[in-house]
Amino acid sequence: MTPDVTDELIKRSPLRILEKSISGGLGKGNIGVLASQKGVGKTACLVHIAADKLIQRKPVIHVSYASRVDHIMTWYADIFKEIAKAPRMGAALEIYDEIIKNRVIMNFKQDGAKTDQVLRSLEAMIVHGNFAAETVIVDGLDFCRAGLDDLRLFKEFAGRLGLEVWLSASLRGDGPLFDDRGVPVMLEPCLDTIDVLISLVHHGNHVHFNLVKDHDRLAPKNLRLKLDPTTLLIAKDIPRGA
Amino acid sequence: MSTDIARMRNIGISAHIDSGKTTLTERILFYCKKIHKIHEVKGKDGVGATMDSMDLERERGITIASATTNVEWAGRSINIIDTPGHVDFTIEVERSLRVLDSAILVLCSVGGVQSQTITVDRQLRRYNVPFIAFLNKLDRTGANPFKVREQIAEKLGHNAVLMQLPIGLEAGFAGIIDLVAMKALYFEGEEGEVVRIAEIPADHAAEAAGRREAMLDAVTMFSDELMEAVLAGRPTEEMIRAAVRKGTIARKLVPVFIGSAYRNKGIQPLLDAVVSYLPDPSEVENRAIDLDREGVERVLSSDPSAPTVALAFKLEEGPYGQLTYIRIYQGSLTKGDELVNTRSGQKIKVGRLVRMHADTMADIQEAVCGDIVALFGVECASGDTFCSPGVNLAMTPIHVPDPVISLAVAPVDNGASDRMAKALNRFTKEDPTFRTYVDPESGETIIQGMGELHLDIYLERMKREYRTAVQAGMPQVAYREAIGQRADFDYTHKKQTGGAGQYAKIVGYIEPLAKGGYEFVSEVKGGRIPRDFIPSCDKGFRSVLRKGQLIGFPITGVRVVLTDGNSHPVDSSDIAFQTAAQAAFREVYPKAKPQILEPIMKVSVEGPSEYAGSVFGTISQRRGVIVSSVEDGTFARVDAEVPLSEMFGYSNVLRSLTQGKAEFTMEFLKYGRVPAHVAELLSEQFLEKQRKGGRK
Repeated sequence: MTPDVTDELIKRSPLRILEKSISGGLGKGNIGVLASQKGVGKTACLVHIAADKLIQRKPVIHVSYASRVDHIMTWYADIFKEIAKAPRMGAALEIYDEIIKNRVIMNFKQDGAKTDQVLRSLEAMIVHGNFAAETVIVDGLDFCRAGLDDLRLFKEFAGRLGLEVWLSASLRGDGPLFDDRGVPVMLEPCLDTIDVLISLVHHGNHVHFNLVKDHDRLAPKNLRLKLDPTTLLIAKDIPRGA
Repeated sequence: MSTDIARMRNIGISAHIDSGKTTLTERILFYCKKIHKIHEVKGKDGVGATMDSMDLERERGITIASATTNVEWAGRSINIIDTPGHVDFTIEVERSLRVLDSAILVLCSVGGVQSQTITVDRQLRRYNVPFIAFLNKLDRTGANPFKVREQIAEKLGHNAVLMQLPIGLEAGFAGIIDLVAMKALYFEGEEGEVVRIAEIPADHAAEAAGRREAMLDAVTMFSDELMEAVLAGRPTEEMIRAAVRKGTIARKLVPVFIGSAYRNKGIQPLLDAVVSYLPDPSEVENRAIDLDREGVERVLSSDPSAPTVALAFKLEEGPYGQLTYIRIYQGSLTKGDELVNTRSGQKIKVGRLVRMHADTMADIQEAVCGDIVALFGVECASGDTFCSPGVNLAMTPIHVPDPVISLAVAPVDNGASDRMAKALNRFTKEDPTFRTYVDPESGETIIQGMGELHLDIYLERMKREYRTAVQAGMPQVAYREAIGQRADFDYTHKKQTGGAGQYAKIVGYIEPLAKGGYEFVSEVKGGRIPRDFIPSCDKGFRSVLRKGQLIGFPITGVRVVLTDGNSHPVDSSDIAFQTAAQAAFREVYPKAKPQILEPIMKVSVEGPSEYAGSVFGTISQRRGVIVSSVEDGTFARVDAEVPLSEMFGYSNVLRSLTQGKAEFTMEFLKYGRVPAHVAELLSEQFLEKQRKGGRK
């Protein structure tokens, strides 16, 4: 594999837009949260973020609480297939077998798994397993059950081991889901701990990305990204008529 | 003995290691009155379970070779094969599955679906074997039959339905509720031999009613009659059983039974289930390959008067000579019958015909299709088919994987040499995954197999059964060589040494072949290479592929395309083109980015989650790639891909690291490229060996 092919894959990824909007990326020691209602596409986004890291040859740990391991593997295979379909992105499939070795899936059953136990296992994987992850994807943590304390544990962990951690948060509740600043009501108590907060909202036929918090700034902003409904990839949102 | 085919059952007992298969089999033998006393695996009485007939198995507490045995229950004749649990011996499991009509899948109700349960399930699927599930060890702490049923449904994708409900669990496990008869069963007497039927305890009535409804919901799918009866509120036991049987035989339903073999609970109802729900031999379709007409398969009939077709599926050296286990698929066998071995064409006469119990046997006069019996003193290999004279069929060849590991063995003295040869000859006949050959260069005897433990067991058996001490070398991984890119060749072989010369010119290229193996394509046009000599080129290439130039292992995954060439009317010959092909390949091979491949194993480690960190460490130290880890409360499972060469001695490492609480299974996954630093080391070793060889 020639490096320029990979360069192309990295350069052309829509995730560069995301990075630009959040001051160059999530950054080590930081916590990013993708929030939406159930079934909007958080897992797809997380897997795309992970896939982008893998293409950059950066090891990723994917923590999941609910899915079966083979389902998660299928997610990755599908996302790579979709990435490869885009023009000049075919190389994604060629390098798949090689780069997927940089991904470890850790599955925990929510009932039995406390956050400190999850983090212990994660640390064991990184230290004893000699797996130099830079990014940890955490999908399916129940924010209703897990409180602010759990998020702080993740934050402390990210800081100590120099990782960036992306989590998904499933929003639910009877009242309105967002306050007038666009902050998910459920996550308000955790807002200080979260470094980057992005909400996914249905808008007509599309799912749009709203940046709610960018590190120190609470500045609601449309990210000009959407989730493509057929490929389930994060894509540039080109306004109609443009 | 009944010879009515509808009264016959051929079942296997398959499971993950340590799920209690052997204990279960022991109980079945006891309740069927085949043995008069129960012995435990690793029993304190020093006798060991009856099915583990080899000393070695007794000592290690595992079952290696499947012994077959016949029992009678409720007027039915049941042939049972106790299959080995360790993955190194899956050839035994696969062979058993080939000859059986159905199976009991034993699961531990604490451990649930484990890595090897998945392997065994895949095998059952491959051979389309219907089965019922038995959740064992309900008396153990942490037993949860509901969770395990869910796992069978989720992880294995089966329509698993609980047919019974426990009364109490763990230490309080007292009895079983039969959801078909809606009765409570208690197992009394000194060894659970008395089944007391009682009313369902009041505190379990509501749950039992609910579970029965769920069971009926699943089962009515298979019978309209039952569906109507359920709607009318009057389903009979017979209707339910008939529907369960139909679903089970179609592999669309897995009825789940529960119990504790060790505590003597739940075995008799399980035997009833074997009789009620598992198929008799006539309900299973068997096919044979017609050796006279290529590609044609024949469906065998379960008519005892049809010509005989039988498969020799296992050989055993017993105290009374060679024993050949056969399954009769069509026709019947009577003492004095003449049969033909369709592989060798050899005729045999049926001498002694016996029905086997684990260590003892009973002489019989006749056996009919569907039955599993043994013959004495028949020379054959396992996998051979015997037919009545005039019939030329072969049972489908049993899938035999290639060995991944080898070991040099040498007898310690001359006396041992003969015995070693005898032992090896025997083992290779018994077990097709165990192979042996003499390395033409070193003169060493090499044995090959499916894993370290696999070869260990045979070394032990040599010592015990043949009193042969051998010196074993370091285990050697079966490496492969391959090419990484296309390279062109243009080679002329010319020799003129008086008399007839040699001349051959070949032009073409070699390229990687993703599916592995070897392909030869000739695109030579206009007779530039005479047609007769094209196969000579093929032969030449083939011969050179047997030993790669990097480390002397076979080269795989190569397509050779011949595009042009030249010949001489007098000097060209078969041998000239063979030589040209060999030399051309040697010349072009280094240009095609040759690389070394090694077997990568799929390794699954299971144990308490507190050891997960240590397990991660052991995998990473072994150049392994961790694919996933699953933690479910206190239980963890790590799946990884690890090169076989790094797995030597792993069982000891794991045992001492986890105080024996974790276990692992491994099986061959694929060939993967060896990293550069390892490849260099291997090349150096190869060159060193060659230098030494050259000095000899």
